[in-house]
Amino acid sequence: MMVNIDVNGKEYKKDIEPRMLLVSFLRDELNLTGTHIGCDTSNCGACTVLMDGKSIKSCTVLAVQANNHKITTIESDDPKLDVIKQAYVDENGLQCGFCTPGMIMQTFYILENNENADEEYIKKNLRGNLCRCTGYKSILDSIKKAEEKMKGEISVSK
Amino acid sequence: MYLNRFVDGEGKYIDDIKFDNMLYMSIVRSPYAHAKIKNVKGGLNSNELKAYYTGTDHAMREPVLAIDEVSYVGQCIAAVFSENRYESEDLLNSVEVDYEPLDAVSSIDDALKKPAIHKGMKDNILDVEEAGNKFNERDINYDLKVSDTIFMDRVLANPIETRGVVAYYRDGVLHVYVSSQSVHRLKGGLMKSLNLKDNDIIVHHVDTGGAFGLKALLFPEYVIACYAAMKYKKPVKWIETRTEHLQSSHAGRGVRADITLYARNNGKITGLDGTVYLDTGAYFADADLVDMGNVIHEVTGPYFIENAHLTGKYVLTDKALNGYYRGAGKPEASIIMERMIDLLADKLKMDIADIRLENATEKPFKSPLGLDMNYPTKPFLEAALKYFDYYKLSKKENLGISLGVLDEDTAPGESCRIIVKNGKVKVYLGGDVSGQGHELFVQEILGNEFGIEQSLISLDYDDTDILKEGTGTWGSRSGITHGSVLMKTAEVIKNDVIKKFGKYDSDLLLKNEFNEYYYYKIDYNANSVNFNMVSSDINDINSIKIYVYYDLGKVLNLKNVLGSIHGGGLQAIGEVLSETLRYTDDGQLITNNIADAGLLTADKIPQYDIKIVENNSEFPDKAKGIGESTMIGIPSAFARSVELQTGKRVSKFPIDDISLFNKCVE
Repeated sequence: MMVNIDVNGKEYKKDIEPRMLLVSFLRDELNLTGTHIGCDTSNCGACTVLMDGKSIKSCTVLAVQANNHKITTIESDDPKLDVIKQAYVDENGLQCGFCTPGMIMQTFYILENNENADEEYIKKNLRGNLCRCTGYKSILDSIKKAEEKMKGEISVSK
Repeated sequence: MYLNRFVDGEGKYIDDIKFDNMLYMSIVRSPYAHAKIKNVKGGLNSNELKAYYTGTDHAMREPVLAIDEVSYVGQCIAAVFSENRYESEDLLNSVEVDYEPLDAVSSIDDALKKPAIHKGMKDNILDVEEAGNKFNERDINYDLKVSDTIFMDRVLANPIETRGVVAYYRDGVLHVYVSSQSVHRLKGGLMKSLNLKDNDIIVHHVDTGGAFGLKALLFPEYVIACYAAMKYKKPVKWIETRTEHLQSSHAGRGVRADITLYARNNGKITGLDGTVYLDTGAYFADADLVDMGNVIHEVTGPYFIENAHLTGKYVLTDKALNGYYRGAGKPEASIIMERMIDLLADKLKMDIADIRLENATEKPFKSPLGLDMNYPTKPFLEAALKYFDYYKLSKKENLGISLGVLDEDTAPGESCRIIVKNGKVKVYLGGDVSGQGHELFVQEILGNEFGIEQSLISLDYDDTDILKEGTGTWGSRSGITHGSVLMKTAEVIKNDVIKKFGKYDSDLLLKNEFNEYYYYKIDYNANSVNFNMVSSDINDINSIKIYVYYDLGKVLNLKNVLGSIHGGGLQAIGEVLSETLRYTDDGQLITNNIADAGLLTADKIPQYDIKIVENNSEFPDKAKGIGESTMIGIPSAFARSVELQTGKRVSKFPIDDISLFNKCVE
């Protein structure tokens, strides 16, 4: 069936099978391979993307459910996402990098929805994203750093 | 830089590799833990492909596709292919398999009691191995003995990227792209499995999304994909689902040890003996020998025990095969010894640090089980206890401690190629990075050696063509072997510059072209001694505090080191509290998704107090190992902290007590 999905600000009209998962649509149809598949059961969060600003697990959402919605992935050039990415680089918030796009998209969601996300809030909202390499410590540090930078930039622009 | 590549989503993992006309492979797997296969119809099955994948030609090795019977849930029976990923899964239903279910064995204890699972065997003992010299307790000097059974259940690597392979036969050469810790080991294995010659195959490294020992191994699915690629003359891709991973990937741990310590009243241990059982799963795997070897040769660890003997029994069960998990027998060895020494301390009413001091040594030594301890362990333990003010702290906190040996798998060395071209330096390492961030120390070392900007240096994907030899990334060896071969290769390149221009400077290097390959041979395994403490309050998961006192030699890159400690620290805590594979009595896997497998989440980050000691090693880069130290040192220390509070001895991992850390199981 035909779908019309906005991915990172660009509209894609495609004829797809109704059963196609959103993650397959992104990876196989659009060749946006930054979104990863880790578990197929919406537990690991490697496939996390934003749909209309809300974080979702794209391995358990059908592409047709995203019809006429806006999807944001790791390939987005949103400047706020760049701040987060740089914080992950600065704080070494990754090792193998496989969970990283999902972690960053979830970070984006956390920081967009809570300007004063404290450590407790961040940790709770990261429970749906698994990382096997870092023990999450450097990821937590990256998120805190991104939050500081974003606040700094907001106060400068005010 | 590699960090930027990954944060931008531009990593090239195995599922990102695509070719035109590529076929997706799906595998028909056994739903039974044990069954006769009366008939298979459809797909690529063992009527056509009869092959094996072990390095050792053991009588009980597993065929890549089941022949006449299946012995674990998830065993490969047939493969189906389609150009569409979804359709290849649909095709699984097109294969007809006629089973006759048989009784299954799902644990070591079960296997020791029940009839043999394989025809032609009298029981479920696959092999028996001895270490040390057998002794009679009448002949040794001791006042008391303590005995216990320590059981460490299976733990699976569960990297967030599952296993995967792409095989592409083109121009008479089989190109294999794989998520792996060693393209060279896989090349050797595939050549043997499919009877290929050296020039018939090139194995390519791609970004590897975590490995933890598992991806050092060759698996049936890789052989099947390669065969199919040659048969169909099309690229073939196989990507494992998480359920397949949990069912079929080769799991680590799965060790039961029945141990007796003989000791004097002052705490000096004079003898150790017992039997170690390894859950091998349904068939022999090469990893069995390494895992068992590490346990039975390293059990006495940092302590000199005059009389030691162990019998190792490899036990068959109707489960997926045994493999590697971070440490591969070394953590098991340490957990066994440290749990036993705590038991002895309790029996003697001694402090757990005092009893360790009594058995640690002033000099390097060779243990009766065959471990060469290169450093004295007592002065190290004294320094660690002093640093953390142990005797004072142990009165305030529920402290467990652990003194451990990290035997680093430095032999047989490692290979490297450095290519300088167009002002850039490209590095290829024979040990394939499986997500530890080696690029950080590669840039740091070569930046210093060459006197150039780190941003000009990159660690590139290697293959078995650009590096004719290579070893792998395991056994806490990377810092030592990769760092050292890098320095050696850099030295060769600098000499090339001097030969050509009479002197070395970085401009001369970058403005010209150089290309050198070097294999740095190491003919023994180095080791180091490390110390951990853990304190906790069993009512609060966030109370867990890990104290680290590690001798790392020269630190090559502090970010790499901290990443390794924090990552391994959480894995070690998980292994004690919740992480395992659970099976029903008839061998059905219960932990079928990653949430059930007990991996810890971000709200369980422990606290750390880390002290790094830098006593340089004898290697060119002066480094010592790190990767497995947390797994070796933390579990038993944490178990001690818990048992101090519950009053219940911990001898089983995971502890499986849901009253503990109520916040953990909410």
